[in-house]
Amino acid sequence: MRPFAYASPRTADEIIALLTPGSAGADGASRPLAGGTDLLTLMKADVATPSRLVDIKRAGLPKGIEETPPGLVVGGLTTLAQIETHPAVRARYPALAEATAVAATAQLRNVATVAGNLLQRPRCWYFRNPRIACWLKGGDHCPARDGENQLHAILGGGPCHAVHPSDVAPALVALDADARLRGPGGERTVPVEGLFAAPEGGRRRETLVGSDELLLALRLPPADGSRSTYLKSMDRKVWAFALAGVAARLRLDGRRVAEARIVLGGVAPVPWRAHEAERALEGAEAGPAAWDRAANAALTGAAPLRHNAYKLPLARALVRRALESLAT
Amino acid sequence: MNVIPIRSSSEIRLTVNGRPVTLEVRPEALLLDVLRDRLQLKGARRSCDMQVCGACTVLVDGAPVSACTYLAVEADGREVLTVEGLADGDRLDPLQEAFIEHGAVQCGFCTAGMLLTAKALLAEEPSPSPARVAEYLRGNLCRCTGYRKILDAILACAAPGGGTR
Amino acid sequence: MPRLHVDRLRSGDGSEDEYRVVERTGLAAWDATTALTVVGRPYPRVEGAEKVTGRACYAGDVRLAGLLHARVLRSPLPHARIRRIDTAAAEALPGVHAVLGTHSAPAIRWYPDGLLFDRTLRFVGDEVAAVAAESEETAADALRLVAVEYEPLPFVVGLEAALRPEAPPVREGGNLVGPPKVYARGDAEAALREAPVVIDETYTTQTALHNCLEPHGCTATWDGERLTLWDSTQSVFDVRERVAETLGLPEHRVRVIKHHMGGGFGSKQIAWKHAVIAALLARRAGRPVRLMLDREAENLAAGNRNATRQRVRLGATRDGTLTAISARIEQDTGAYLVGGEGSNTSAIYQTLYRCPNVTTEQVGVYTNTGPAVAFRAPGHVEGAFALESAMDELARALDMDPLALRLRNYAEADQRRGRPYTTPDGLRLCYERAAAEFGWRRDRRPSGQGSRRRGIGMAAHDWGGSGYPPGYAWVKLNGDGSAEVVTGTQDIGTGTRTGLTQIAAEELGLPLERVLLHLGDTATGVYAPVSAGSATQATIGPAVRAAAAEARRQLLEAAATMLEAAPADLQLREGTIRVAGAPDRALDVADVTRRIAPHMIQGHGARGPNPDGKAVRTFGAQCVEVEVDVDTGEVSVLRVVASHECGRIVNPTLVDSQVLGAVTQGVGFALMEERVVDAGGVVLNANLEEYKVPTAPDVPAVVHARVDRPDPEANATGAKGIGEPPLVPTAPAIANAVFDAVGVRIRHTPLSRRRLLAALAAHRPEPA
Repeated sequence: MRPFAYASPRTADEIIALLTPGSAGADGASRPLAGGTDLLTLMKADVATPSRLVDIKRAGLPKGIEETPPGLVVGGLTTLAQIETHPAVRARYPALAEATAVAATAQLRNVATVAGNLLQRPRCWYFRNPRIACWLKGGDHCPARDGENQLHAILGGGPCHAVHPSDVAPALVALDADARLRGPGGERTVPVEGLFAAPEGGRRRETLVGSDELLLALRLPPADGSRSTYLKSMDRKVWAFALAGVAARLRLDGRRVAEARIVLGGVAPVPWRAHEAERALEGAEAGPAAWDRAANAALTGAAPLRHNAYKLPLARALVRRALESLAT
Repeated sequence: MNVIPIRSSSEIRLTVNGRPVTLEVRPEALLLDVLRDRLQLKGARRSCDMQVCGACTVLVDGAPVSACTYLAVEADGREVLTVEGLADGDRLDPLQEAFIEHGAVQCGFCTAGMLLTAKALLAEEPSPSPARVAEYLRGNLCRCTGYRKILDAILACAAPGGGTR
Repeated sequence: MPRLHVDRLRSGDGSEDEYRVVERTGLAAWDATTALTVVGRPYPRVEGAEKVTGRACYAGDVRLAGLLHARVLRSPLPHARIRRIDTAAAEALPGVHAVLGTHSAPAIRWYPDGLLFDRTLRFVGDEVAAVAAESEETAADALRLVAVEYEPLPFVVGLEAALRPEAPPVREGGNLVGPPKVYARGDAEAALREAPVVIDETYTTQTALHNCLEPHGCTATWDGERLTLWDSTQSVFDVRERVAETLGLPEHRVRVIKHHMGGGFGSKQIAWKHAVIAALLARRAGRPVRLMLDREAENLAAGNRNATRQRVRLGATRDGTLTAISARIEQDTGAYLVGGEGSNTSAIYQTLYRCPNVTTEQVGVYTNTGPAVAFRAPGHVEGAFALESAMDELARALDMDPLALRLRNYAEADQRRGRPYTTPDGLRLCYERAAAEFGWRRDRRPSGQGSRRRGIGMAAHDWGGSGYPPGYAWVKLNGDGSAEVVTGTQDIGTGTRTGLTQIAAEELGLPLERVLLHLGDTATGVYAPVSAGSATQATIGPAVRAAAAEARRQLLEAAATMLEAAPADLQLREGTIRVAGAPDRALDVADVTRRIAPHMIQGHGARGPNPDGKAVRTFGAQCVEVEVDVDTGEVSVLRVVASHECGRIVNPTLVDSQVLGAVTQGVGFALMEERVVDAGGVVLNANLEEYKVPTAPDVPAVVHARVDRPDPEANATGAKGIGEPPLVPTAPAIANAVFDAVGVRIRHTPLSRRRLLAALAAHRPEPA
């Protein structure tokens, strides 16, 4: 790694001051360090070159899971391992428990935080390769578009065709979680879905969270009779980023679908909320016909590239399977 | 531009295999390099160098982490266990004995990481099912053994009554 | 006493004559009737404790005062010429002790047509410069300060592109490595024209990366004009020869040591540049240097299993008798010929089945990617995928059981040289044991529930694994009755130490713990060849046995005087020497050695010749069951039954481990492993995240249906090699099982989710 300075402030204000460009003590190239599982890997690959890391783990920021009946608050610094094994998460928010369980490895889940997981950069093999200039890193074009794009986006791609790698993000979106953020101007709360936006124009990032903002906590609303699940397909049995993932949540009223959330991972630059699939489900009678309709609707607008058309049947199968499992 | 700034260092205090250690380290120093080159603990090994293979696994406060992508400064105030700290003097840990007995050791490069990951698993779940052991070990890659004997060795050390998880 | 045979092989073409020296020991081979007590038992590894405690010393673990860290700058371009290189800034960086590049390194020949640091670069990852510095970070900083001006040259990536007439040449003279290697017996074309049933298909296999957990690398230190290298290598003697030759040193001033190695799988069977670079840096810096490749370099510049394209034609009669086998093979050699490819993809077509008309044509193709090198059963893995898939296709075309088809075309001799096998029924035994253990039934129908379909498949293989002379060992008996075995071979992780120790203990009549084996050091060991070709046990095992036998003879002579008996009347077991028929007349081995000390009993042993007029081979067959999820393209290998004929099993645990590990690599090759190169020549997955190797849950239940039968004609121990062969049939068996399950033939490895889903979509008549 290239050299960098390291700071370990004791308060959130100090952290934010160090992260704020132009403010006292900030040099514009500071990055917050939580678990570091993404950032350090980018730095080792010479893709990220911050001049300073600001450790945010010693400032008393929220960490751990707090039961706030009927909901739940998950601190931003909570590790994936903590979430995976938490009884309330497993009982009431299975999509989140399942997504954390299939993510990464024991070694990573012990260190990686949920905030860092949501804000991680794409795993795109062009983006991560320092030998290659790509649009997301400030280059002219996306080499994946006409290149080796087997792992890339089939939905919402362009100008960047990388996919959002998180398993946890689709689960949190499907669970209607909110995120509490803190920046120089104070705190704000937004739906987790609103944290993400496909990179475009001058914003070559996948998130709308400011570089001087901290993701303090996630609030999960009451499960409210909903059932949820997360399914993932990988290039081997375990330990890979998703070729496609689906977080699904259903609230049934008898045999009718009262509420539905379908969120796809691994297929778009952001966690992909499949609104058309949700519309196809809501009010429909639970059963194979509805699942098929939803599975097809989920891929509305898909534009596969040369090597990734396989993701369409794959994502459809996962949607169908997820819905089946929730309704039985 | 290739301007090389001066690399500065700071002091950290940690416990390694039960012994307190105080070191001056640079911010970019990785725990793995500190263990291997400063403390001469060679059991944790560099392989993938991006925390995907598990060969550098050590336990930090009891939890397996990849030392290759873990800043040494982050270990300040923590307890680190490496494979050199597994045995009690000359008495090997039961996992170490079982690895030898079951033929779970082949080239040996993944062995330390496997042992420490297994140690953490059994501390957390004393009687895991075979499937759970395999799943928990997914971040420890082995290119020689085909894993089977490693799983057998770990299961031999599990408390009876293997769970279903 | 050993007898030396020196054969002069007259070259006849004006070049120097060659001499082949073979020692014959006259030792009777251990056959099926020999009662052995140490050999054949599942002893745990003798080095187990070192490895579980972290003490085992690998190439990068050597502690030396003043050790420097080296890093290598690699070409960012697939084909370029270095116009200018400036290392002044790097050299001026505090903490940097040595820098090497095209402008400053000695002009050491490397590859057939290049230099250690060459101005022409032919793949992304080719060596440009190297530095040695106080720390890894400083070395990395220094590399960033090396200014290089490259002149980009036209380049080509991939087999098909490189074969086009307009393809940019990787080197002058074009992209063919040489004229095609052609083999023919009979007339395959005529037989194909006349054959009532013909299979004519093209198969491809991917470029696979070894990804040994320990990368290539070494630690180098000089003591005056003496160089010591701790190298991660499969051949300490080959590295010594190469390093001595390139540095102009006499061989006795170069010592190469390898205590432990974190996997090689063929990729470490030659001397690579890093050893010479480290030695040069260490000499220049006047301090020891460690140069371990990082994972990316490992995957760019330390070898790979070459991709192949194979057009296979089989001709057969209606009863399934093969009348013709024809294969046209193209393979991606990469940018250079490194001299250790061993990729004879043609071979399995020539030998596995009885067939009078066989033609193979094999051509290597240069491309601007990293060079290929042997990878566990090189050539055979690739060839078997195509041949054994084609045999399955033939069985389908004939509506015949794939096992029956194979048995109908059973070969009992090496048809290339007309030599019978020493174990002509070896493969038949494997078929029988695998089929019985698996429950292979020709009438079995594919089954499954919902989207999950099950199928079964099988494949077979042959392989060398005979071992060969020369190879040597010594045995020393100490005054306390303990024994040391010294050999110059190496344990590349397979368990060589343990197996050889068992052989020595057996012959010496000593318990295992009274024998210690030393290896992996050119300064102390006697010559042994590269640990490759599944040959180590079968090469050095007999040499160790011969050395132990010589020591035993001397021991019994001494004991005979003490016991007042004839040596022939003495029995030696478990450390005790007894007079036959007189149980009270006995001595411990230590009683003998102590009384004659300080005289030291020493035995010298050599590997004898392989049998004249016969071919020594290993064989095997595997049956697998898979489940294919047609919705997600996921292939689950449920179980594998593997049966392999490798002669006597010296240690069942070690042999089982080879089978399990090889099958696991076979699963990886079949389902997930594949190097991906962008059109720009950059390898996109030169890491262990994107290059997928099997994890613990990917591994099926593997049953090793052992064929433990000594092959006494092969060598004095009756054991043959098992390191590579079990990998050979796994991938085709899986592909055949996938076809059985879903009726879709995938002729390209790996059978990834992507490939499966695309093939299923193309074949499926209607949406599910």
